[in-house]
Amino acid sequence: MQLTGFVRFLWAACFLGHILLLLVLFRRDRARSFPIFTTFVVFNIARTIVLYLTHRFLLGDAYAHAFRFFLIPDETLQFLVLFEVALHVFRPTGVWARDVWKTFAGMACASVVLALPLMWLALPSTATQARAIYVRGVFLCALLMSELFVSMLALSATVGLPWKTHVARIAQGLGAYSIVCVVTYTISNYFGNETQIFAVLATIRSTAYVVCEGYWIVMLWQEAPVPRELPESMLTQIYALQRQVEYDLTRIRTWRRS
Amino acid sequence: MRSTYFAVLAALFLATLIGVALHFYLRARRSAGATWEELLKRLIWIDHDRIAAIAMDAVTESGDRRSDDESFNLDSSTIWSLLGGLEGLEALEKNCQVLVELAAYLQRWHPEALVVAEQLRLNAREIEWHVGRLKGAAQTGNIQASFGDYAQRAVVTYYFMTRHVLELYDRAGFSGLAELQSAL
Repeated sequence: MQLTGFVRFLWAACFLGHILLLLVLFRRDRARSFPIFTTFVVFNIARTIVLYLTHRFLLGDAYAHAFRFFLIPDETLQFLVLFEVALHVFRPTGVWARDVWKTFAGMACASVVLALPLMWLALPSTATQARAIYVRGVFLCALLMSELFVSMLALSATVGLPWKTHVARIAQGLGAYSIVCVVTYTISNYFGNETQIFAVLATIRSTAYVVCEGYWIVMLWQEAPVPRELPESMLTQIYALQRQVEYDLTRIRTWRRS
Repeated sequence: MRSTYFAVLAALFLATLIGVALHFYLRARRSAGATWEELLKRLIWIDHDRIAAIAMDAVTESGDRRSDDESFNLDSSTIWSLLGGLEGLEALEKNCQVLVELAAYLQRWHPEALVVAEQLRLNAREIEWHVGRLKGAAQTGNIQASFGDYAQRAVVTYYFMTRHVLELYDRAGFSGLAELQSAL
């Protein structure tokens, strides 16, 4: 398998990007808040090393096999990162917001229902059946990721749950990248997966990912706005107020006019 | 033929996806970046005395359900006219959203206010639910039967929400409290 100079550059940029991102996550102490995202970054570093060694020292289809082997953990981790974002957004007080969980689960199911016909309609012109399954699989994952991202955006805006600075940045990067994936996979499914267009689209995807990494590095390096500290007495009052608001709502729910 | 269907469906899917993403992204950004003045401007004027009259018909100042002879005297048509019908209720619903954003605004500087903001958000969702039920009833022509109960419940929730938001700002020692009091 021959790699062009630009693809080699993208590969190196992606690897360096992940190293830098990992340093930022630990240096700024974000790894503790985003353990799954940190695992995703570590996984990508390990994957790049293994793929490089495979490409450098093994012959035949070894690289292609290794690349596909990493696909399942890679996609799984991407979904888990999105779930980690959901945990931050929809559990503002540490437990799932009461009015959100069912809608969130419903939206996840609806995403699958919407994505399946599109995946079924895609007719990748590939040399082997295994390759066709692979192409459809990655297309389905991209569809689901983009749908889930948009659903979360819509749900949080509708129910009035704000996204904290770093959570929003991680989600925006991943969301934008998944939309680029959907666009490029759609085009390659339409024009065929064994053509020159496929290689160009793959390069576009890789470039988009490197840009996304750069965005994460810059945004996660920056600190969120510093909150002002409240005195202990005010904190106690605020917690008492929260209990009062909760109590009021419970009472209003139970009364009847007659 | 199948590839044509695929292309059409994929184009529709992408256009919808990007459209929805942009719409909600801009909405969330507008909401997160709203200034104090912008939030106050979004509050629709509602006669506080009328709100208090409807609320106090059902509950006491401390929030307990009234059980005396004078309680629940207001019938559906009186509540309807005091509130200004469905339009009044919709104004109340819109104000609830602003109240939630006001709590979130305070939370930007005092993250501890999150617990109250979250509870207020649930209150607002409850009001949305009541208004939704009433809108549904209006479409089927059954609004008179359900207006009194749902509307009064929504008003009581709103009445306490306004009080709690004011209390939250008061306890956090926020300087814009007087402006907020007059806006509410």
